[in-house]
Amino acid sequence: MSQDPYHILPIPALCRGERTLLSSWIEGTRRGSLRICAILIILGCGTYGFTIGYRNGWEMAAWVALKLPAIIFLTLFVNGLLNGMIGLILGSGIGFRQSLQFLLTGFAIMSVIVGALSPVTFFATLNMPDPGAENSLAWHGLNLLLHTAIIAFAGTLAHCRLLQYVRDFADSRGTGTLTFCAWLAGNLFVGAQVSWNLRPFFISPGLEVEFLRPDPFDGSFYEAVFRAFRNITPL
Amino acid sequence: MNDEPTDDTPPPPLPGQPEPSPGTPRDKSACNRPHVGFEEMEGGKTFSNTINTLLRKPLSVVYTLEVEKREDGRKLLVRLLCISVTCLAIFGLVVGTFSWNHQLWAAPLKIVGGLLFSGLLCLPSLYIFACLGGLEARFRTIVGILCGLIALSGLLLVGFAPVVWLFSVSSTSVTFLGFLLLTLWIICASLGLVLVFRAGRALGMTNTGHLVVWCGVFLLVTLQMSTTLRPILGSQHGEKFVNFGEKKFFLAYWGEQLRGEHRESPREEVPGAEQ
Repeated sequence: MSQDPYHILPIPALCRGERTLLSSWIEGTRRGSLRICAILIILGCGTYGFTIGYRNGWEMAAWVALKLPAIIFLTLFVNGLLNGMIGLILGSGIGFRQSLQFLLTGFAIMSVIVGALSPVTFFATLNMPDPGAENSLAWHGLNLLLHTAIIAFAGTLAHCRLLQYVRDFADSRGTGTLTFCAWLAGNLFVGAQVSWNLRPFFISPGLEVEFLRPDPFDGSFYEAVFRAFRNITPL
Repeated sequence: MNDEPTDDTPPPPLPGQPEPSPGTPRDKSACNRPHVGFEEMEGGKTFSNTINTLLRKPLSVVYTLEVEKREDGRKLLVRLLCISVTCLAIFGLVVGTFSWNHQLWAAPLKIVGGLLFSGLLCLPSLYIFACLGGLEARFRTIVGILCGLIALSGLLLVGFAPVVWLFSVSSTSVTFLGFLLLTLWIICASLGLVLVFRAGRALGMTNTGHLVVWCGVFLLVTLQMSTTLRPILGSQHGEKFVNFGEKKFFLAYWGEQLRGEHRESPREEVPGAEQ
């Protein structure tokens, strides 16, 4: 039996964007690809989530470590059917299982990047003053900005790699790009709402540490944005 | 789908992309790229030769790490680590002469420990960012590149040690010496980071943009480590070995130092050290 280097540790090949690995995953010739991506997401995002929540103690660290991978899985679960249909309707030739594999692969790459940066973010968290300390509002803002920048960086890198994959595997580059944009729009739309429902991740000064807010399904992310917009404009 | 790849036949290369490399750099084929100095180390694998090679042809250390057998590669890694520890300890000792007494052992310990710990924190991201840039190398080689970076920076710091000693016996200002040390560290680390880029390209990285981000992260971590492990310079009688309780961002700390918020006498009373 030939030794399969990807099956044991596909992280380097995944990051390099090796087509051999992805084609075997998409074609379904190698089993367990969904499981590998899921494990990478749980480990990468879980570790990174831990470092986000650790600023507010062990309890919050554990909850964010659970909630961060949960956002990804819930978003894919809610959008799974739609993503598969979009792939077929737009003529890319990418079906249900393949669309799930593509998106899980993209999120797995993102998780590997944030997971690799988590020792650094853990060190940053250890060096931040406690939430109740002087200038806590400024530090809260800085913490928020730091993690937003890291997630945006990892997300951009992962999606650039994913776009490359989708264009390559679709029937044409045009339909591949269109399908990718449609997936991205759908996932951003649903993902924002899922993260709103699963809040808090960063505890604002003065608020309690809790797993979920008492009203997780009261309102939506977009209503909150609209309210915030109205608060800062005279409309 | 565009093609129907099977298990046995590798898929064709992507349009506009190079052929996937047929093997890993361990086959030596991937190492045969035309990069000046990316060749086998000359001479014996002694400490002095490793130092000499690190300064003259640092890429050959990376090449040797990539193609050597496991045992020999490990020995080279240990040598690089020993060079790093020795150089940083010497530099730390010189820094410690600013305050004398317990800083003579505390400063080397903090500089060696802090820099190695910073390297450990940044190692996973270096590996992943290198892979994202298309690098095909063993994890051991990445560890070697990081050790090479620290060893090279340490060697350069030792070169600057007489300068630091001159200023440490001449000046009593913690702020001045602190900024001098930070500047020297940035210069030495930047020269060391050039090795990371050169090694990345030599090992087949197609995009070194990710490494620019990593270099920024590494510099930030090391600069913050210098604040986390304070006081490295100018400790006072009764001051703790480290002050983990008071958390500060390094820019805020040095800003305070510049504004003169910490006006303590920088030196302990050292017999015969009066100006």
